[in-house]
Formats: sequence, structure tokens, C-alpha cells
Amino acid sequence: MELDKARHERERENDARRGSGPAALLPATIVVRLEALVRDVRTVLSDFTGARPAPYAIRAPLARHLLTVTPEPSAGITPRRLRVTRVERETKDAVSLTLTDPEGRRISFVPGQFFTVLVTLASGEVLRRAYSISSLPDEDGAAAEVTITIKRMPGGRASNHLNERVAEGALLDVLGPSGSFTVTPDPAARRHLVLIAGGSGITPLASITRTTLAREPGSRVSLVYGNRGEADIIFRDALGSLARAHADRFTLRHVLSDPPAGFTGRTGLLDRDNVTRELDAIAASSGLEADAAAYFVCGPEPMMVAVREALLARGVDPARIHEERFSAPARRTTPALPTTSAPVEIRLRGRTKTVSAAPGQTLLEAGLAASLPMPFSCTMGGCGVCKVKLLSGNVTSEEPNCLHEEERSQGFVLACVSRAEAPCAVEVP
Amino acid sequence: MFDTSRLTRFLPPRMQSQIDAYFEAMEVLFSVKDPKVLGALGPSSVRGLLLHRGKQGTPTNMPATHTAHFDWSYPNDQPEMADLYRRAKVGQWNGDDLPWHTSVDPLDPERPLIPEEFLCFEDIEALGIKLDKKERAELGYSMCAWMLSQFLHGEQGALFAAAQVTEAVQFFDGKLYGATQVMDEGRHVEVFNRYLDTKLNKLYQINDNLFVIIDSLMTDGRWDMKFLGMQIMVEGLALGAFSTLYKQTKEPLLKEVLKMVIQDEARHVHYGVCALREHFTKHITERERQEREDWSFEVALLMRNRFAAYEVYEEWFEGRMTRAEWRNVVNRSQGMNEFRTVMFSRLVPNLREIGLLSPRIMPRYEEVGLMRYFGGLAADKLTADKLLSDLH
Repeated sequence: MELDKARHERERENDARRGSGPAALLPATIVVRLEALVRDVRTVLSDFTGARPAPYAIRAPLARHLLTVTPEPSAGITPRRLRVTRVERETKDAVSLTLTDPEGRRISFVPGQFFTVLVTLASGEVLRRAYSISSLPDEDGAAAEVTITIKRMPGGRASNHLNERVAEGALLDVLGPSGSFTVTPDPAARRHLVLIAGGSGITPLASITRTTLAREPGSRVSLVYGNRGEADIIFRDALGSLARAHADRFTLRHVLSDPPAGFTGRTGLLDRDNVTRELDAIAASSGLEADAAAYFVCGPEPMMVAVREALLARGVDPARIHEERFSAPARRTTPALPTTSAPVEIRLRGRTKTVSAAPGQTLLEAGLAASLPMPFSCTMGGCGVCKVKLLSGNVTSEEPNCLHEEERSQGFVLACVSRAEAPCAVEVP
Repeated sequence: MFDTSRLTRFLPPRMQSQIDAYFEAMEVLFSVKDPKVLGALGPSSVRGLLLHRGKQGTPTNMPATHTAHFDWSYPNDQPEMADLYRRAKVGQWNGDDLPWHTSVDPLDPERPLIPEEFLCFEDIEALGIKLDKKERAELGYSMCAWMLSQFLHGEQGALFAAAQVTEAVQFFDGKLYGATQVMDEGRHVEVFNRYLDTKLNKLYQINDNLFVIIDSLMTDGRWDMKFLGMQIMVEGLALGAFSTLYKQTKEPLLKEVLKMVIQDEARHVHYGVCALREHFTKHITERERQEREDWSFEVALLMRNRFAAYEVYEEWFEGRMTRAEWRNVVNRSQGMNEFRTVMFSRLVPNLREIGLLSPRIMPRYEEVGLMRYFGGLAADKLTADKLLSDLH
């Protein structure tokens, strides 16, 4: 922006002047006044010479304007219905669905976020699954269409249904977008993002890669992406074209455990040793220092653990490591549901209300049913928006969920996957 | 006003405009009859009109001279303000909740930002400048971006003035209420800035006359002058401008932004009326009252005549018509007429209500055609619903 540029130039001039010359001898207040006088005189003169600056500046969205996904308060958990406008097969086990709002409303999201998709099976059973957005938003933080990518899980009822049964024109019910595993684009940023993905963990990172390269001309992206074979690489062509188009600031490194003949990248799993060697290679090519970047990691659990260990061993500040875990709900421990109803005392914004939780009802459902404006987003233990502090009593929670160890030790539980076992009291932070 | 172009034709266009601008500035200063008013507006006029301090491409520092008024006994001194405070707390809203996902095309003929008849294209054609359909839409886009930029700059002034007034006011209930207004103004800056940056992608420099008003009331040490300037005059101007645009725009997101902002503004003007009615009718001398009466008349005139979108002129027409011709085009346009009507139908009754429209000054208002608004409702009798329903 012109004004910013002018300011930077001025600051440079000031620095230069303070360093040497007669101005360095004057008290700072006088220097400030003299500078103001010079500006005033220059302004009046340029009025006459006609050298006035343009009366307007061209503007672009700032990071401040895009960091604004507040979950909408609503009386219940009402999903939003989107239409599938395109179905693209990425690999034999992964499909991308492009979604639009049937009423033409654009969809706001931050790169890295996911939708909770409500999958209705032929039997009528409704499953909830989180799928990350892989496309990028327009400059103003919203887009007319978004793409989610779904990898088939062995025995996965929802992922198989979405891979096989969904065709163009179908309607999907979704909640969200949710999640804080995000990078808000900032055109002025000059940063290095290191992204490490395994398998379908590429989806949020694909959105982050596309957006960062498109919106942050001063930033670098390094992506390490692990898969079994070449045919399993999701977005293989798209990532390849990005790497060619942005060769100076996008490094793409494939790691394959079952490589074809002639593969030149690293082979094996993304274990601690391989991750370390990949990070070394990135450091060597980009001059990366241990704390010079933010790290975004998404993939299967053993890879997540290995990457974390490798990063900590290099002395990376844990605050710079961002992780996204999608626990497969099929493998979740489903605790025995309470069979009796229990009173739940909910403290929210300084007020306390006691509601009755029916057997099987989550704390979130009980609160919303009593018209309490409890915050929530994904409703499946994946985003952390609905966390509440357990003040007394006992709840059972579905595990694993996205709470950090620290939050657990402070007594937080997720209202969307917790049910009251006995009378209890919770506080919405 | 005097058309300087007859004397300056032989000069390059930019120099011609500059001479017209100086003449206009001098006319403003010479028209002020009260020396005290001149003392209050003069230095600000030099900084704004001559030195263009708001356009130097650098942040502007304005020294403050008011006194912060502390009261350690926390009296419940103004029940009407306490009531406004309660209403303001409940009336808070979140700028993020507006429909920002709306796609805005500034040149969309189906959803024009401002109606085509906002400016009179016949008047422009009469000067030998023919604009095709696309250019007309682009000029409309410039005018709208210009207005919203001035709203944004005005809201920045309102944010800091509201903070100063909160410090300086002597009513304790007024201080509590003032805190909510600071929040309101911050939110207005947020939403106008976001709309301009993410939807129109264009920001105009602050208009020199708006700079003069903001500079004058930020640097005046008297709390009641800040109040008068901000809560009555600038808020009145803002309400007129917001309401006009709200009524005329077909762009749904902008309409929603303005609707929310207007609801806050209704409270702000009401507060100004409450605070100043008490003060001007009971606590100041007749001489002081007269000075304020003259000051508000001068500022009202400044607001009526001088917001001629010269920044849009520089972008579009410098060298193709004179600055004075542009002024005529703007002042005669339907959009500006509408704006003046809405603004003064709110402002004049408020001045009457706070005791600054005595028989002494009425002839001057009559002379400039503003007395016809005298009988309207003042802000303390107006609700936000009434304000909005008047616009349908």
C-alpha cells in the first residue's frame, strides 16, 4: 500500500538522519517539529506543482478481517444443506466433492478448517464425520464453492458411502466449518510454513498451501507428504503444478513406503528418523533454523507422534507446532450410556441454569434444548469450541477427542461428546 | 460562490483547482463573524485546508487539551443517561455476525451501490463530458467508496472524541454510557474498514473539511464544545449520510451494515441532547451560549456546502471541468439534496432542543433555508425504529 510504503521510507530516512548529520545533535522534539514543517511546506508546494498523491489507495483484505469465524448462536444443532456440484476421483480410494449453497450464499472459511458431514446411510442411521476443506477461499475469506476430500477407510461406513454413492446434485447436511488448525492469509507476511502430511492428512494442508502461495507473495511453503505408493498420492498433479509454478518458494517432497522403480525421493515411512532427515534437507535448501517457521502436521497417529518427537528433538518451540487429529469414530471407545436422566447445572456468562439431561443426551444437547446459547461447532469432539469446565459431578466422554492434556488436567470436558453420569455442574468459559 | 476559473483559465488545471480551493477556504474563514468562533476554527482550517494534514501520507498527531474529570463518589446523577447506558449494553452487536459472505460486485447493475440518478449525468453532459454506461457505473462506485471512506474517517474521529468526552464529562452516568459509545465507534470503524478493504478494495483520503471539524473538536479543551461538535454536529451529519445511503443502496450487505450502525447512532445523538440541554440552559453565561450558537451555525453551513467529493473530482474530472463546475454538479445532485434534507431535519430540531436556536440566530437560519426543519422531533423523542421506518 502506498501509505505504508511512504511510512517505511520515512522511517528509513529518519533512521539514516539520526545516525549522522546535524539532526543527530538536535533534541528529538525539535527534529519532530522540523520534519512536520518540511512535510507542510512540501505539501503546499506540491499543491502548486500539481504533484499531489492520488486521492485514493487500492486496498486488499487484511488478516484482521479474515479471522472471524464465530460459531453462529442457534437454538439447536441445525445443519446447513449444501449441494454437490462436482465429483472428482483423486485416487482409487479418495474422492473430492465440490459443494455450493443452493441459495447462492457464499461460504466463509479459513484454510485448514473442516466440515462435519452428516452422512445418512440407507438404513436411516446418521453418522457424523469431519472432512477438511482442500480448496482456497477468495480474497475476502469466503468462496462460492468449497471442496472436501474423502479417503475411503477400510470398513468405514461413512467414507465408503461418500466414495461410492454420492453423485452430482446430491444434497449433504454439514455443520461448521470448524477447527483452529488454520493459517489466516496475510498478504504482508513473510514466513516459512513447514507442512507434514500423511495420506488423507493432506486435505487441510492442500488448502493452506494453495492459499499461502496465492495470497502471500513473500512467504515460503515446504511440504513433506508421505504415502504408500505413487497411486495413493492425493492431489498429485495439482501439487506438482504448484511446485513448478512457484519453484522459488514451494518445496514439495514426497516420501513413499512402496515406491515405483525410478522414484528419486525418500523411501520408507514418515518415522522419526525419516522426518528428521527430511527436515534437514529442507533446512539445507532454505536456510531454515529450528525456530524460523510454523509447523503444521496432519496424518495417521504414529506419524504425528514421530513428527512431534523429531521437532522437539530439534529444539522447536512447541507453540509453533500445530497438529490436527481426526480420530476415526469407529475406533472410539463408546462408553456405556447413562440410563437415567440427571440434573446438570450450567453456568454461562454469569448466570446459572439447571437443566435436565435425558438418558443418552450430551451436555451440549441438554443445554441447547433449554435454549442456553452454548457455543459449539463440529459436535463430534474435533474442534474444541464447546469445551466446558466440570465443576462437580461426573461425566463420561467419548475418547479420543481433541482436548489437550493440559485442558484435561484443568478439568475441561467437551460438551458435545460428554454425558452426565450423576448430577453435575459445568461452567462455559 | 465566486468562480475563479474566469481569472485562472490560462493556468494548468491542477493549479486552477488549487486557486479555487484557496478561495473557498478564505470564503469559509471570512464568512465567520464571531472572532471567538474564528479563533476556534481558524487554526484547524489552516491545518486542514491549506496544509492538508490528513493527506500527507503519514499519521496525524493531534494534541489534546481537555481535563479528565474524576468523581470518587460515583453519584447516580443523570437517570436519563443511566437508562441510555442500560439500553446501550443490551444493544451491543458483533460485527462478525453481518453477512460478510455476500459477494459484492461494485459494478453490478442489478444491485447498484448507489442509484444512477444519485449524480445528475445531464449536468455533466452539459459540460461536454459524455460518460458511457460502464463509466457511469464506475463513477457511482467511486462516489460510494468516497462516501464510505469519509464515514470511516469520521468514525475514527468519533472513536477518539467519544473517549475524550468520556474522560471530560462531569456526569457520572454519562461516563458509564460513554464507555459503550467508545465500543460502538470502535465497531463502526471495524465494519466500515472491513467493507472497504474486503468488498470495495478502495480507500479515499480524508476530505479536508471533515479534517477541519475533527481537528477543531479534538484540540478544543472545553468538554461541551467537543460534545456539541461530536454528539450533535458530526453524529447528525453521520446520521444524515448513513440514512441517505441506507435508503438508496441496493447492495444487501451494505444495507445491513448501515442498518446496524444507524441503530447505534440514534443513541449517540440522544445522549448529546440530554447532556447539553442541561448544561446550556443552566450552567453557562449568555455570552458563552451565543458563541456556541454561532459556532454550530458555521459548522452546519460548512457541512451543508463543503462536502463536495473533491477527491472524486481529482480522480475523474480534473482538467475536464473546473472545480467550481464540479461543486455545482454535486450540490445540485439528487443524492446530495436527499442527504441535506435528512441531515437537517434531524440536526435543526436537536439544536433547538439544546437551546442553540434562539430568536437571535433564527434569521440567519432562515436566510440559508434551514428554518423549515425547526418543528421536527429532537433525538430524545426518536427511537431507532422510528429512524429506520422513516427511511422506507
